Amino acid sequence: MDLLIQLFWVFIKVNLLSTSGPASVGLLHDEVVGKLITGDQFTQAYGLSAVLPGSDALQLAMYIGYAVAGIPGGFVALLAAILPPTVIILGVTMILHRVRREVWVSHFIDGLTPAISVLMLFIAWKIFQKGGADTWQGWAIGIVSLIAMVYKVPERIVIVIAALIGVFFLK
Amino acid sequence: MNQPSKFSVWNKLLWMFLKVNILSPSGPASVGLLYKEAVGKIMTEARFVEAVGFSNVLPGSEALKLAMFVGFAAGGVPGVFAALMGAILPPTVLMFIVATILQSYQDETWLKSLVLGMSPAVTALIVMVAWELFRTSTRRKVDRRTLLIAALSASALLLKISSPLVLLGAGILGVILFGRRSYQ
Repeated sequence: MDLLIQLFWVFIKVNLLSTSGPASVGLLHDEVVGKLITGDQFTQAYGLSAVLPGSDALQLAMYIGYAVAGIPGGFVALLAAILPPTVIILGVTMILHRVRREVWVSHFIDGLTPAISVLMLFIAWKIFQKGGADTWQGWAIGIVSLIAMVYKVPERIVIVIAALIGVFFLK
Repeated sequence: MNQPSKFSVWNKLLWMFLKVNILSPSGPASVGLLYKEAVGKIMTEARFVEAVGFSNVLPGSEALKLAMFVGFAAGGVPGVFAALMGAILPPTVLMFIVATILQSYQDETWLKSLVLGMSPAVTALIVMVAWELFRTSTRRKVDRRTLLIAALSASALLLKISSPLVLLGAGILGVILFGRRSYQ
């Protein structure tokens, strides 16, 4: 029960402090890895949610919830990820014309975004190191993946290929 | 004459979001598909653009917020819930199936190798997303304030200040720094 409450709180917090699914990854990593799940599990969760169809953020939440506390954990994480945006949207649609004039909201986001980008770079480095990828093979896969994505190869395909290379060539 | 009933609007919303969420790999990728499905049929382009704008500004998963805005525009509060259901169902079902399978293989060596191969690709993906985010945030104004916030956040993170605090601080700094100009 304590675990479920902890999960719920983590996802409420993460969803209030980030404006989109992809942007929440850095914060989420800091909040759960080492506390609720391992770095390996996080990489699995993130890779899978990028590969499977549907909202990444929700899949990430559910996978982490499931890994921590089984099916109830998955549902608690899902609920906590959905609640903040739902409440906010229902509120905003009712007072839409008012919020539109609130400049400070958009300034807050303008300040938040560079910090989120920086946080994500930190997390990317942590995942890279802790995932045991800090070897020449790891760098090679990473650099090739980056180039592929810059040239607009769909990320799903890049991740699946990298995972297959791992299964067949890395020990 | 052939006035659609409210029920059929909700039904249509549910199916539309089921379809969009099965066909698209991620939230941001679904915007294009959703545009084709929704604009001209259940809402105008102006309202769609407004919905995209709002879902980028408010906290929480943007795909969900977009779904809810579209749902609201087409079918009021019940429309919100129909859209939400359609957006949540496909990833939930898929994820539970895959999570169940993977958890039972957690100790197998091939899964460890899989993670080993996936880590660098995941790292690359996160770097890409971070860059995209940074670029969109500075599109209007490539200026020192954004760089200052980025630099301050980096130093704070290096000093091991907890990340929610850093993000909150950056937001408040944004209000202070960007707010000043708009009153000049």
